[in-house]
Amino acid sequence: MNNVQSLIDGFASALTLTNLGFGLLGTFLGTLVGVLPGIGPALAIALLLPITYTVSPASALIMFAAIYYGAMYGGSTTSILLNTPGESGSVITALEGNKMARRGRAGAALATAAIGSFVAGTIATLILAFTAPTIADLAIQVGSADYVALMLVAFTTVSSLLGASQIRGFIALSLGLALGLVGADLQSGLSRLTFGSDAALEGIETVPVIVSIFALGEALYIASRLKNRGWNVIPMKGKALMSRQDWKRSWKPWIRGTFLGFPLGVVPAGGSEVPTFLSYSIEKKLSKHKEEFGEGAIEGVAGPEAANNANAAGALVPLLALGLPTSATAAVILVAFQTYQIQPGPTLFLTNGALIWTLIASLFIGNALLLILNLPLVRVWVQLLKIPRPYLFAGIVTFALMGAYALNTSIFDVQVAIAIGILGFLFRRFGMPITPLILGLILGPNLELQFRRALQISAGDYSTLWASPLSKILYLVLFIAIFTPIMTRIMRKVRKDAVAK
Amino acid sequence: MGSLFLLGFIVFWDTYIVELPAINLTISPKVFPYAVSALLMGLSLILAISILRGDTALPEGHEAGTPVGKSDFKSFGIVLASLMAFLLLIENAGFIIAASITFFGITVAFDNKKHGRAAIFGTIFITVIYLSFTRFLNVQLPAGIFKGLL
Repeated sequence: MNNVQSLIDGFASALTLTNLGFGLLGTFLGTLVGVLPGIGPALAIALLLPITYTVSPASALIMFAAIYYGAMYGGSTTSILLNTPGESGSVITALEGNKMARRGRAGAALATAAIGSFVAGTIATLILAFTAPTIADLAIQVGSADYVALMLVAFTTVSSLLGASQIRGFIALSLGLALGLVGADLQSGLSRLTFGSDAALEGIETVPVIVSIFALGEALYIASRLKNRGWNVIPMKGKALMSRQDWKRSWKPWIRGTFLGFPLGVVPAGGSEVPTFLSYSIEKKLSKHKEEFGEGAIEGVAGPEAANNANAAGALVPLLALGLPTSATAAVILVAFQTYQIQPGPTLFLTNGALIWTLIASLFIGNALLLILNLPLVRVWVQLLKIPRPYLFAGIVTFALMGAYALNTSIFDVQVAIAIGILGFLFRRFGMPITPLILGLILGPNLELQFRRALQISAGDYSTLWASPLSKILYLVLFIAIFTPIMTRIMRKVRKDAVAK
Repeated sequence: MGSLFLLGFIVFWDTYIVELPAINLTISPKVFPYAVSALLMGLSLILAISILRGDTALPEGHEAGTPVGKSDFKSFGIVLASLMAFLLLIENAGFIIAASITFFGITVAFDNKKHGRAAIFGTIFITVIYLSFTRFLNVQLPAGIFKGLL
């Protein structure tokens, strides 16, 4: 098959010394940010965006993808040994894995998490390699109006399924859209929301916003609201190894987790929460050791970890094939593509085929590197948690400010960064999710462009927006996505009232 | 929540007052901003209602510490002041001075007791960062008063 040949070529170019070096650097940095609390993959990639000026697209994207995968591995280490899930996808790992660690089975928990992530990552990347081009082929026929519908669906699912409060998700999204409006309108040159500032005419840069909403917002929030002296790391005995029994109990959950996580990553279903929870409840049902669940069952680590990793790989499908990011990290990777004037989407495999196949091949290599990096070296990573908290956050904040400034050497970007930092604090304080804001900022201008393009073709006739069969289906999905959470809440309330009576 | 409504109104007003350029466009560049402003104002009203009905915000759990009941605005202020210091000093005094002050300020805000050590470590750390970014990665950072020295 043609794809196989392309993939082999991809391997050839991913295995050059430079690209391999950047891949290794990426896996290293990814694990680092995954292990350290307070920094996530989105922030790490955003901070490294200035280097895109000096590095070739292939090398930079390989590094970013490696960070994306690596953070997942590092995150599970922290969840198991510290009981502090860094992201929603590792909540379950923390639940069951930390119990295992407390019972002196940290080694087995870490091993099943790492090997499970490897298995899931490899299978999922394989599926990605063969589905993404097909989806891209189909997507070429998708018109502007369909894109509008598609983006609206992505906005809605991300806003309403992430976080506890649907309305707060939508507010975060609208704020992101409003930020995306700032600057001169591309088609008419009309300046919007600039309030006479020349610097604002070029629009608000995405990088300072992402960097500061995570780094500065977190720093302000933690300094004022959370007090703690050090972390309580569970000491690890022995090596990160699994017994024959552990293998026997782990391999099926790995496979099931993979096939659960991947499709839910492809459809924008609101991140890694859903697949990991689903995987956990399935494993609990199927397990012969039900009594161990809640006390540290290895299946409860193996399944969700695999689902989490497969989910991350699945999220790359809409990103590459449609140019639609469904998570904060994917959104930052989209920005990285755009700084190289490459627009992910249906035509990506035609225009930049070699680059994308190199990237996909590097995902396989990165996964293997991560397994090697994580299992024997897990003790080294744990040492990182001994960095004193003040130094850690001081480092993050200065890096963030530097990143905001260095991208355009502009003082306006630093002003934006600080303002957004305060906004980030308010978001954290009042329980607003951040991902919808970032998606709104990045995709908002794109949505407007497609919206206007569609209406220009139809000479201002709005009915063109829902004329095609695909857009009709998408609006139906949109409708369901908005009203399902509301309906379930009403149902729950009715049931509760009935019970109370 | 009032601030959200206000923001929506600002978007509306800004869109409303600007004059359209003379080019004839099928779709005005105002349509989209109007939609966003309507969304903001509408959502802020819904949020206000749901808060009045008792749905107050719950900050999500976090990994880096135990929450305190009341915000510590002194630490908040120190962090904010450190950020401002960077903004004001970066172009005049240069990256090394600005970033070192910010670094030190943040360690103070995060309850670090050994101030001397933090200041020395921070300055060395920032200098190393400065040199490695400007020399090896070709990222330009202002030298400020050290111009020609480093």
